[in-house]
Order: sequence, then structure tokens, then C-alpha cells
Amino acid sequence: MNFDAFGLQAFLMLGALLFVCGIICMATKRNAIGVLMGVELVLNGANINFVAFSYYNPTFRVEGQVFALFVIVMAAAEAAIALAIVLNYYNNHTSVDVDSAEELKG
Amino acid sequence: MWQTLREQPGLIYVLATLLPLASFFIILLLGGIRNAARPYSKSGIGQKIFWLAGGDIPTKVGAYVATGAIFLSFCICLFGLIWFLSDHPVAMDDHGHGEHSATSHSDDHKKHDDHKENAKKHDDHSEKATAEEGHAAAWTDHMMFARVGLMNKDDRTGIELHLGYYIDHLSAIMFTMVTFIATLIHLFSMGYMKDETNVRVTDHSVHEADGGHFRRRGRYSRFFMFLSLFCFSMLNLILADNLFQVFVSWELVGVCSFLLIGFYYERTSASNAANKAFITNRVGDAGFIIGMLILWSFVGTFNFQEVFQRVRAPKSDFHNKHYKLADQMVRVKPEGEKSESGRQKYVWTKDGTGSHVALYPLNPPHLHGIGDQEDQVDEISTANNRIDRYGAIPYVLLTIAGVGIFIGCMGKSAQFPLQVWLPDAMEGPTPVSALIHAATMVAAGVYLVGRMFPLFTPEARLVIAYTGAITLFVAATIAIVMHDIKKVLAYSTVSQLGYMMLALGIGGWVAGLLHLLTHAFFKALLFLGSGSVIHGCHHEQDMRKMGGLFPKMKITAITMLIGVLAIAGTPFFSGWYSKDAIIAQALAFARENKVHLLLLILPLVTAGVTTFYMFRMWLLTFTGKPKDHHVHEHAHESPWVMTIPLILLGLFSVVVAWGNPPWDADASYLGKILGTAQPGSVKADFAAVIARLHGEWVHPLAGVIAFLAALFGGIFAFVVYHFRLLDPAETKEQFGFLHRLFERKWYFDELYSALLVRPALVVAHWCRNADAKGIDSLVNFLGRATVWVSRIKGRIDKGVVDGLVNVIANATYGFGIRLRKLQTGSIRNYILFLALAAVVIFALMTYLINRAVAG
Amino acid sequence: MTLFEILFWIAAALTGLSAIMVVVTQNIVRAAAWLLFTLAGTAGLYFLLASDFVGAAQLIVYVGGTLVLVVFGVMLTAQGPFVNLRTGAGEWVFSVLAGIALYATLATAAWVTAWDKSEPQEQDAARSSNIAQIGMALTGIREATPEGSITGMPIKPGSPPRSRWRTAYLLPFEIVSVHLLVVLIGAAYLARAKRRKAEGATP
Repeated sequence: MNFDAFGLQAFLMLGALLFVCGIICMATKRNAIGVLMGVELVLNGANINFVAFSYYNPTFRVEGQVFALFVIVMAAAEAAIALAIVLNYYNNHTSVDVDSAEELKG
Repeated sequence: MWQTLREQPGLIYVLATLLPLASFFIILLLGGIRNAARPYSKSGIGQKIFWLAGGDIPTKVGAYVATGAIFLSFCICLFGLIWFLSDHPVAMDDHGHGEHSATSHSDDHKKHDDHKENAKKHDDHSEKATAEEGHAAAWTDHMMFARVGLMNKDDRTGIELHLGYYIDHLSAIMFTMVTFIATLIHLFSMGYMKDETNVRVTDHSVHEADGGHFRRRGRYSRFFMFLSLFCFSMLNLILADNLFQVFVSWELVGVCSFLLIGFYYERTSASNAANKAFITNRVGDAGFIIGMLILWSFVGTFNFQEVFQRVRAPKSDFHNKHYKLADQMVRVKPEGEKSESGRQKYVWTKDGTGSHVALYPLNPPHLHGIGDQEDQVDEISTANNRIDRYGAIPYVLLTIAGVGIFIGCMGKSAQFPLQVWLPDAMEGPTPVSALIHAATMVAAGVYLVGRMFPLFTPEARLVIAYTGAITLFVAATIAIVMHDIKKVLAYSTVSQLGYMMLALGIGGWVAGLLHLLTHAFFKALLFLGSGSVIHGCHHEQDMRKMGGLFPKMKITAITMLIGVLAIAGTPFFSGWYSKDAIIAQALAFARENKVHLLLLILPLVTAGVTTFYMFRMWLLTFTGKPKDHHVHEHAHESPWVMTIPLILLGLFSVVVAWGNPPWDADASYLGKILGTAQPGSVKADFAAVIARLHGEWVHPLAGVIAFLAALFGGIFAFVVYHFRLLDPAETKEQFGFLHRLFERKWYFDELYSALLVRPALVVAHWCRNADAKGIDSLVNFLGRATVWVSRIKGRIDKGVVDGLVNVIANATYGFGIRLRKLQTGSIRNYILFLALAAVVIFALMTYLINRAVAG
Repeated sequence: MTLFEILFWIAAALTGLSAIMVVVTQNIVRAAAWLLFTLAGTAGLYFLLASDFVGAAQLIVYVGGTLVLVVFGVMLTAQGPFVNLRTGAGEWVFSVLAGIALYATLATAAWVTAWDKSEPQEQDAARSSNIAQIGMALTGIREATPEGSITGMPIKPGSPPRSRWRTAYLLPFEIVSVHLLVVLIGAAYLARAKRRKAEGATP
């Protein structure tokens, strides 16, 4: 443990926290939109890591930020699709409860 | 061809022998084709072949073929007899001693040279032998049939078997007799066996399970086929010039007898009788074989003439010096040790007590007789057994050889103790009984004894004589009490054969064989007559049911009366000449050797007994009141086919032994012919007896006492059965024990059954039990063990193998079921798993990388 | 404590707290609200890290686009019973435990790793040329990307320069744009007006 590079590890831990919260949110929310929120949290946590690395490592100039941009774009796209899927699911099942999507139960 | 015939005239007899064989094969072939074609006889070519071969009806073609063949054979034999007699005239002097006596020797010497030159032009093998070297006059030739092993000049360790013919006066006469009687019997059978020409024959003696009688197809041709085969084998026996050929024919006549006795083989009695006949014959053949073995081992040849040449001393040597010991058995004894090359010296014993008999060489360059004259040696030296060198056979073995061959004859001629088969052989059809068991086959034994006569030592001859004597007496006593007409005749045959054997044993060579010939005629006549009676009474054989048949069957009755008179020895009938000769010989022998008085008493007494039972038979059958009206009503005379042979045989029974003048018993022409064929050893061995025989009063005395005995028997028979002065039933009670003894045939059958048959059956049962219980139980046990093992295996297979497979399958299934629970279908669970997996992977990677970096 | 650190702690606290509240709250609408704050806090952190373009993009795209979309979804589907969907306690425990395990792993990884000891360059946000660099990188100017190894590992001496292969981020840029097009089409297709089936019918 080195406390010299303070900032990086703090950011990393914050990113990890967001990430874990997103995982827990995905695992516990029964609402499909809730699961979607968890996905957003996960992506945000990863983004924080990217940007923190970009800032704290002089080798990287803008790589982290570019990647973060890409992630944001992809997140948006994915959110759109996910919402479309959820809406379809709602139309078919009249419910947004993910527990009722048991057709693939083996 | 005529050239060959002129050189070897004996070949016509070979032709005569082969004619019945050809007939046999023709009938066999046709019958075989017919039987083979029978399943296909419904249509097509099979039907045509079947019809050609005779169709479904038993035809008479077989009978014609067989009768024609044997008649042709008879013609040839008759022609051959006349030719032979013209070639070798009969010596009319000296009671039939046909050999040239010493006085006429010099005359013959000139003839010898002529004949010798003639003989040299011929083939080496064939000999038109003359009295040159002591051979009897004969046509003879042989050819080699088989050789096993080495048989050359230096090494004679192999075996050589020949087939050949030997025709002398005896053979020629026998041929004629056999073919004549066989022809008549063939003719007779054509009428007698007419029942067999039906398509369906009912056999009343065979009962089926439902009580009905057995029905079968007719077997007409088969009878004649067997008859032909028998004729061939009998003629071959007479034709033979060596023991091997005789033995082959011996067995073959036994087989034919078996086939013919068992002709109605569905009857148990018939098949048993056939078995008995054959087996009893075989018992005799064991002795025959022993004799043959001994002869081969020491004498080295089977040929009759060669055997006699070796065993008996020659008449003269090459210098024509006549030997004193001519035709005698020369007794020697060994002297000194055997040399290194195996030579042993033998010295002549003057008093005739030597342990060995000298064997003379065959065709040596120089022959030296053994004796005490000049140019004779008194010791010989023998090495290995070579027929062109001197040899020596132990006297005991020579006796045994003779007795062995006689045992064979005992079996064949039904002498005591092997006589048990002949009465049972009456199960066969009557013509068979007439031909085989009266005239020919049973005569073969006597014929062979006559042929092999020079071989027999005095002890052997005594055995023969006593056997004959016992037989003739025993059989005659049994014949007194028999009811079946054929059984009476059968025992009569046995008795007469005993007469012949007795005669031969005591030196009456001519007498015995003369009796053989005359007996053939009148016994065949009697049998055919009884066959005619049986046929006329519709197969009724029991004399107690006959009676008063004379008016109904005149021809049969008269001819049978002729036969009865002949067998009784009535003067002027053929039987008188031979019986007279036998009794005369017996008288002379008994006077010469007083210890053998029994050999005179028995034939005399039996002559009376013979007459008694023969007349009894005739009287019971043809005279008196009919005892069974059903039989009497339907009795009829037989057709001409059956009565012609009877008449012919009756004629011959009277005239066959006539001579010139007919009232002189010695002057029988047949006897003279036989006398020409008599071997010289008879005169040499029985010189004293013959001297007595030629004495003043022996012959007439014998004739008188024989006639008296017969007369007594005949009168007694008339008294009992015609005039009814004595009641047979009362007699039966009074002599109860004797009657039972005679009726049970002196308990011979019971004796043999207990002695031989039962032990064999016991052994058979024991073997069967061992097999059934021992082996079967073993097999059953193996079977059960196999089943038990297979059951265990089954269980193992089901339990272990299947169980293993099932366990694996169940485990997999259970695992799969459990794994299925992971897939909950819920996203949230999946996310949790993801998270956990990520944790695990991170931890693992961290740990591993740390280790890698650190290490 | 420098200003940096103070600002960091404030923004971090906001973000973290909001994130936790997103998870904890049962009401979906409130979760959306807390998500808003989380995203805003994150943007603040970006600005702190001298990534002003990314922060701006975050606010515009994420908050203004994605979150609005999420709110749309929430509003459209949060009818009656779907507003409060509870989960069982067992699942909470399990998930929290899994989460803690994961966090422990990540934290350990963060602390244990020997990061590069260099000081971050002091950057002045007003005079930083980040945006220009981002733009250059996105349009494929080679010099925009570092010559050194991105992975941070020391470059082996003597290895060939990688400058020839550097194409900056033009390709990913194009791919992303195509991707967005595809997403556009797909979303339009998925969300088209369909004939309504009976209730409870399977898709």
C-alpha cells in the first residue's frame, strides 16, 4: 500500500463503489427499469476509472477521456435499446417485473 | 476254345459251378431294379422299368432262370462224368482199390514215359496227373487269388491263396448227384412255393397286435435266388482243390442256409432257427480255422494233394523203388540240439512212437524216403518251413489239426454235440429242407472228412468214429417220439450222417461215401414226399392229425414207401448196399480191435430203430383211420410239378447203387467208382481191418445181422401202428422217463441255454446297465451342472453388468437434474452469478500472478 | 488538504451517497431521482479531473439524454403495483454479500498494485488543450496518441517503434457512429406500433 499516489486510489475506490452499487442494483431490483439503472451505475463507475487513469498517468494524454466518451455514447445507445425491449416486454406481459420472465427456466 | 478245353477239361466243371451264380446275379439284378423302381412306379419311365423288371406281381421268371441254370449245370456235369470216366476208367478189382498195385507197376512205367512226354507239352501248372507220383487220377488246375507278404524261393513268410479245381471220381459223382437232386428240387419248388406267387400272402403263423394274421408281398423269386446261390456255393465246395476255397464255400453255404431257413423271417421261430443254425455252424468253424492254421504253419500249403504228399510217405522215389512205408505217416523224433542255423535232426522211430511226423518235400530234385531200405534215409534235417524241404510236425498238433477240421464238419453235418440246429432248421420251406438239410449241405461235412482222410491220425479217426456212433444212436432215439413229420426226417438225417461219420472213422471210406450218395437220393425223396403231404394237407405237419391218406395221395405214398424201404436197408434198394458195407466194416473193425465193440453194437441197434421210426412215420401218415376229418377231406394229390421229381427220385433210390450182379452187395457200380478215388492211405492205415473184411464170413454175417435188425424193427413198427397190438400211449406212460428224455431231445437245448445263452445274456444285461446307469447318469449330471452354471452366469450378468450400467446412468441423470436447478430463468440470479464469478476470477488471477511474480 | 482534495471529497460523497440510495430505495421514481444526482456528481468529478469535454458530454448525453429516457420508461410503466416492487430479504443479503466481496476484491486490487509514482501534471482547466487533443485523436491524427506503451509497462529496448501502427481512434469513431445508426434503426423497429395481443400472451 502506498499512500503516495493518493488521488488515483481514491478515485478507483469510488469507481469500484459505483460499480458494486450498480451490480447490487441489478441483482436486487425487480423492476426492469431498476435493472437498467444499475447498468448505468456500472458504466459510470467504469468511466470514473478511465478518466482517473487518464489524469494520473502521464503516458496517457487523452486515451482515457476518449474511451470514456465512447462509453457514454454506447451507454446511451444501449439504454435506448433496453428501453425498447422493456416496452415490448411490458406490452406482452403487462408487467415490468423481471421475475415473471421465467420462460427460460430449465 | 476247344484247344483249351482239351488241355484243361476240368473247366467245364468250373462252368457248371458258375451257372447257378449267374442265375443268382440275374435274379438279384432284376429284383433290385424292381425294388428300386417301385417308389417311382406310378408314372413315367419309372413305371416302364418297373413293368420290365416284373411289375407288382411276383413272376415266375426267376424260377425258370434258376431251374434252367441248374438243369444246364446238371447236363454239363453228366457229360463231364462220362468224359471223366472214359478218361480214367474205373478199376473193377480189389474192392475198389483204384491205385495201381506194385505188380502192375512196371507196366505203368512205360505209360508213364508216354504221359510224361505229353505232359511236358502243356502248361507247367496244369497237370493231367496220373499215378506217377502217387497222385490219384484227376483233372486239376489252380490260379493264384491273393498273396500277402513274401512267397518266393528263399522266403516263404507270406500267405498265398489259390482258387482251383480238382476233379476226381469222387468230385465227378458228387457233382452229378448234387446237380441232379438240385434240379429236381427246383422243379418241385415251382409247385410247392406257388403260394408265394400271390401279390398278397397271409402268414398264419405270425400274429399281429390286433389278432389278425400278417400280410405281406409274395417272395417267389427270392426263394430261387437263394437256391441258386446255395447251388453255386455247394458246387464250389465240391470243386475246390484247397482248404481255403472249401472254407469260403463252407461259410457261404452256411449263409445260404441261414437265408433259406429264415425265409419266413417274420416268424420268430424261423428267425431264431436261422440264427441257431448259423451260430452253431460258426462254433464248428472255429475248430476248422484252428485246423487250417496248424496246417498252414507246419505244412505250408492248403492244397489237398500237396498236404497229402507232405504228410504221407510217397509210394516210390525217382528210381521207382517202392517204399515199404508208402502212404503211411512216418513218425520221427528229434535228436540233438538245434544248430546255429536252426536245423534240427529227426530220427525215424521204427516202432512208430515218435513225437513228430515227418513232412516230405514237394517236387524235390531228389527224393529220399524214410525207412530202412537201401537208398532210404533214417534221419532228416529240417530248418525253416519250406514246402520243398523236409519238415516235421508234432504228432499232437497233427491230431489236433485233424480234430479241428472234424469239428468244422461236426458243425456242418450236425453231429453230436452240435446237432441242435438241424431239427430247428425245419422251419424253412420243405424244398429247402430236402436240398440243404438232407442231400447236400449236411453232406459237405462228410465229403470233407472223406477228402481230408489222409490227414487224420488214428486218434482223430477214433474221435470221428465215436462221434458218429453217439450221434446215430441219440438221433434215432429222438426220432421215435417226434410228431412233426419233418422233425422225424430231420433226426433221421442226423442219424444217417452219424452212420457216415462212423464208417469213415473206422476205415470204410467207400462205405461212408456210398452211403452219402444213396442217402442223398432217398432222403431227398422222403423230404419231398413229406412236402407233398404237407402241401396236400394244406400245410399241416403234425402226424397226429393225419392218417388214412393213402387213397388220396397214391403217388406220394408209394414213393415214400420206396424211400422208407431204402433207408431201412431192404435188399435191392440202394440203401442196402451202403448200409451193408458199413456194418461189414464195423464188424471187421470190432473183431480187429475188440475194445471198440460199441462201434458195432450201436449201428446194429440203430438199424432196427431206424426201420422202426421210419415205418411208424409212414403208417401214421398214410394208413389207419383219419384222425382229423377236416384235414382228410381237403387232402389232395400234388400237381405233376411235384410228383414227377418224386417218381424220379424213387426210381433212383432203387437203382443208383445197383451193380453187376445186383444181389451182390459188393458189386455196386457206384461203390467201384468211389473205390477208384479212394486215397492210398486207407489201405495203408487199415490193412488189418481190410484183411479181415476180405475174410470168408465177415461180409455175409454182417449182411445177415443187419437184415435181421432191420426186419425186427419193421415188424415191431407194424405191430404197434398197424395191427395196434401195443398201445403207444401206454408205452409212453410206462417208459415215462425215457419218453421225456427223447421228447426233450436229450435236454441238449436246455443244456446249451443254461451253459452258453444265459451267461451271454447276463453279460449283455450287465453291460446295458452299466451304460444306462453309469454313462447316462454321467451325462445327466453334466447337463444339470451346465444348467446350474448358466443360471449363475445369468444372475451375474443381470446384477453386476446391468447394475453397473444402471448406476452410471442414474448418476448422470441425478447430476443433470441437480444442474438444471441452476438455470432459474431469473436475470437477477444470473447477475449475481456473474458477480461472484468475477470475484473468483479476480482473486484467482491475483493470487496466481502474485505467485508468478514473486516466484 | 488541498482544494483538490476537499472538492474531491464533496463530489465523491455526493456521488457515493446517491449511488447507494439508488440501490436502497424501493420506489422506482425516487431511484431515478437519485440516479440523476449520481450522474451529476460524476460529471463534477470529471471536471475535477480536468476532463471538461467528458464532463460536458456526461451532462448533455447522459443526464440529458439517457436519464430522460429512463425517466420516460419509468413514467410509462410505473403504474400502480409496479412502483414499489419489493425483493425478499434473503436475496438482499446474498446480493450485498456478493457486492461486498466484489468491492473487497477491487479495492484490494487498487491498493496492492504498484502504480506509477509520477506526479500528475498540474493542469489548468482554462488553458488545457484537452478538447483539441480529443478531437485530433478522434479524427485519426497519429501524433495524438502516445508513443509509449499504453499498458504502462516499460518498453523493451530495441523493439520496433509502434508509430507506424498507430491510427489513433478514427476506426472506433466510425464504428461507433455506425453502431448508433444501427441502434437507431433497431430501436425504431422494436418500438413500432404493433397490433395489441390479448393480455398475458407470450411474445
